Parts: sequence; structure tokens; C-alpha cells
Amino acid sequence: MSDSTVALAEPNSAFGKYHFLLRRLHSLSGIIPIGLFVCVHLFTNAQMILHTLFGVNPATGESYFQHEVNFIHAMPALELIEYALWASIAFHAVLGFVYIFNSKWNTTQYKYEANYRYTMQRVTGIIAIIFIFFHIATLRWRWDIGGFWYTPFWGHGGELADNSTIGMGDMKHVPMSLPYTAYALQFHWVVLAFYVVGVLAAIFHWANGLWTAAITWGLTITAASQKRWGVVCWALGIGLTFAMTAALIGAMTYNFKDMTVDQKTVFTHVLPQDQVTRFLGEGVTKADFPLEAIMEKAEH
Amino acid sequence: MSTKTFKVKVKRQDEAASASYWQTFDVDYTPNMNVISTLQKIAAKPVTADGKDVAPVVWDCGCLEEVCGACTMVINGRACQACSTLVDELLEENPVIQIEPMSKFPVVRDLWVDRSRMFNNLKRIKGWVPTDGTYDLGAGPQETQEEQDLRYAYSRCMTCGCCLEACPQFTKDNDFMGAQSFAQTDYFNSHATGKLLADERLDVIMGPGGISDCGNSQNCVQVCPKELPLLTAIASVGRQATIYSIKRFFTGKK
Repeated sequence: MSDSTVALAEPNSAFGKYHFLLRRLHSLSGIIPIGLFVCVHLFTNAQMILHTLFGVNPATGESYFQHEVNFIHAMPALELIEYALWASIAFHAVLGFVYIFNSKWNTTQYKYEANYRYTMQRVTGIIAIIFIFFHIATLRWRWDIGGFWYTPFWGHGGELADNSTIGMGDMKHVPMSLPYTAYALQFHWVVLAFYVVGVLAAIFHWANGLWTAAITWGLTITAASQKRWGVVCWALGIGLTFAMTAALIGAMTYNFKDMTVDQKTVFTHVLPQDQVTRFLGEGVTKADFPLEAIMEKAEH
Repeated sequence: MSTKTFKVKVKRQDEAASASYWQTFDVDYTPNMNVISTLQKIAAKPVTADGKDVAPVVWDCGCLEEVCGACTMVINGRACQACSTLVDELLEENPVIQIEPMSKFPVVRDLWVDRSRMFNNLKRIKGWVPTDGTYDLGAGPQETQEEQDLRYAYSRCMTCGCCLEACPQFTKDNDFMGAQSFAQTDYFNSHATGKLLADERLDVIMGPGGISDCGNSQNCVQVCPKELPLLTAIASVGRQATIYSIKRFFTGKK
């Protein structure tokens, strides 16, 4: 037997030199920009249930949730935050895939709880990135996925199906936050199912990632401290699951008849008549909500 | 005497480059057998269950008391020591005992594998206490009982490879060092004199294949026959790496 069959590997590339830094940035990018954003995002969305519980805010005529959305949309450098988030997600996902392909799952042979979590961490990461992509593609870029997952609105207003005479800017002054989320989720049960699976995957990925990150960075060293931190991560995960549930209940129970007149105008002009009938009732058409009213407001 | 026998299925390989194949043997049962004594019986009568004369099965072993780490095999799907794995317990889970060489190390022949990757990693992390010199260094600093207890646990490592065999991050194709190296890094870095080489060890352990490649499956903790506190080692080396990287960022010369 040769006495040295394995060469002493030394860092020989730029990637090798920054190996540790890349790994730690991968861990950090999951916790701070992405994880923290998802926490805020889920907490904000949980307030959609306020509409189910208390109806329209009499002071504004809009749902309580709208206040939160307006606050976010009023934040300075919002686009910068958006691109920074995209960059973080892309970095985390690309490196994540590289790391996945450099290992070999073995849960069939070693059926330990932590080993299942190891595999789940990788599976939920893949589910989460697919979900995030479709989530953004449908809500932000208004992609039409298979004809059953489609949200033809912006966070503000919408775009006319036949906008030959009217610029799309005209209707963006009408806030559509809760109706457009509710529309996406009530449209088809597959969308709701994908949201439940996708968000639960993201929550598990973050909660479990927080637990292992504490070992990676060396915060929890003793078995007892790892157990204590595990309880905290469980609590965070359960809390976020409650937030998700509240948001989904809010979106699924939303009654489109609660929309403001402006929102109904956008809704009826953007959607085909069968959807207008489905959500606003028999006999309601876009003729009931003339466009001129909101166009006048936009001019002021 | 009863002539009770049991079946043993062995994964064989004639040489490093050749393909592996399975052979089944009928072995006479005697009470309190372990896997090594089973293999000794096969060596004494190397005839397969279907009556074919074959070359005796080759395996590696040393102390036969779970201290040297040489006889690690994958027995009934789990990495463990052949000397301390008892036939009675194996027969309780399955009437046929299945023995394979470790899958993460190159096979030399049959159940004998080349574990030099682990020993090379011990060299890389400088797994020793630097006491050589031209004069007597005198007695080392005192250590608390708590420190001694932890380091005694680390000292039980016998480089058997169970932790690496069970590790999903450790494959034949990558350069991951694994729990064994990390435990020895913490072992020597926490030694009052071994500490002198702590930075050099961390330079290696923070490179490719080092501590940051750990994926936290924690199989190592479950399968370690000597019950080393491997998760504590991984977290402790992780902490040292965190602090060292910050220190190096601000004061490093290269």
C-alpha cells in the first residue's frame, strides 16, 4: 500500500483562497438580508387577516393592511433594496446548488433526526427558490403560468387588457395590495397549495439554518447551548408559520365586494368578464365603473 | 454440540482497480462471536455457501479491543468496528450478516481499505504538540479538570473513519477533511503547549475541505464508536475560525 495516496491539497485557485469567506457569506446572506426580509414580509402579510377580522378601516375606506403596504412603498431607495435582495438570493442559491452537488445524501442508510434535517435543508432550499421565482414572476412581472396562475395587477393599480387608448400609468395610482394578493390565491387551489408548500419550505430552511449557523459560526458550543438555541429556532419557525396562516386566511376570505370604487374600476377593466362575475357577482360589468373617474384623479 | 450456522454475505474485491462482487458463507455459530471471529472462521474454511473453494477474505485489524481503529467495516449498512460488533446482536436484526468495506476510502483488497487520507489530514493540521527543542522546556502550564475532561474525550479518537463513512459531505471525489480532523484540531488547539501552532492549524482548517464545508448532518456524532463530542469540536473550531478570520482581516500580513 502506498503511504500517501492522497495529495496534500492546497488552495490553488481564487475560489480556494476565498473558500472560507464565500462559505461564511453564504451563511450570512441566508440569515440577514434574506431571512430577515422574509420575517418582515410574513409579519406584514399576516396583517391581511385584519381585514377578515375588522373589515375596512373607516378612516381611510381601505383595508388595514393597505397602511403597511403604503409604508413599504414609501421607503427610500426601495429599488436598491429590491436589487440587493435579488443579489443576495442569487448568491445564496447558486452557491447552495454548488454545495449540494458536492455532497451525497444518505438518509436511507443513516436514519437519524439530524440527518433528515440535513437532507430537508437542501430539499426545502430547492423548493423555496422555485417558489420565490414563481411568486415574483406572477406578482411582480405578471407572468401567466399555465393559465391558472396569473395576477394582472401591480401592487398599485393594474394595466388594461386593451390599453390602446389609455397609458398604463393611469391606473397605477389605485392601490391594489390586498385584492391582488387575494386574487392570485383565490384564483386556483393549486396556487394556494404551492404557497403553503413554498412558504413552509422557506420557514423550515431559515429556522433550521439559524440553528446550524450558530454551530458554524461557533456561537453554540456545548450540547446544552445547542439544545437551548434549538428551542428558540423552533419558536421562530412556529411563529412564522402562524404569520403565514394568518396571511393565507386573510387572502382566502377576502371579499372583493369590499374593494373601493377605484379598485373595482381597475378590477373590472383589467379582468375578463367571467372573473368579474365570479368575484363581484352576476350583473356587474366594467360599464358600472367608468374609467374617467380615476383618470381625473390621476391628473390631479 | 449443535451444528447451528448463520449466513454471512461479504462484499469482495480482488484488487484496488477491479470490480467488487458478493459471496455468501455459512459460518458455524458459537456463543459470543464478534465479526472478527466470524471472519477468522471463514479464513479457516474459505468455502462459499454453494460449495465453491475461494481465496480467504482479507481484512485489516490490530488491537481487537476497539482502540486501534483498523477494522472499521460497513456491517449491516452501518460503519462500525468488526472487533466490537457482536454476532448475536446482528442476528437479532437480520438472519444474514452483511459485511462491506468502507465506501469512502479506496479498497486495497476485500474488506481492507486505505485510510491514508485521514493520516494525511492529521499531518496537515499538525496534529501534535511542539515540544522538540535544544533545551528542556520544563513542565507545561496547569490545566483545569474541565479542560482535561474534554481533551481526554478528544484523545480517544482512533482514526477509524466511522465519522467520515457516515458523513454526507465526505465523498471520494472531494477534499473534505471531516469530523476526525476537526476534533483533533480542537484537541491540540486547546492544549496549553499545542496552542503554539493554533494559527497554522486554522490556516489549513479554513481552506478548501475545511471546517466551513461541514453541512451539519451530525451523523458523525451518532456513529462515533468512542463517543467523541464531535459537535462541540465542530462548533469550537468554527468559533476559533470566526475570531481568527476577523483578526486576520485587520492584522494579517498577507
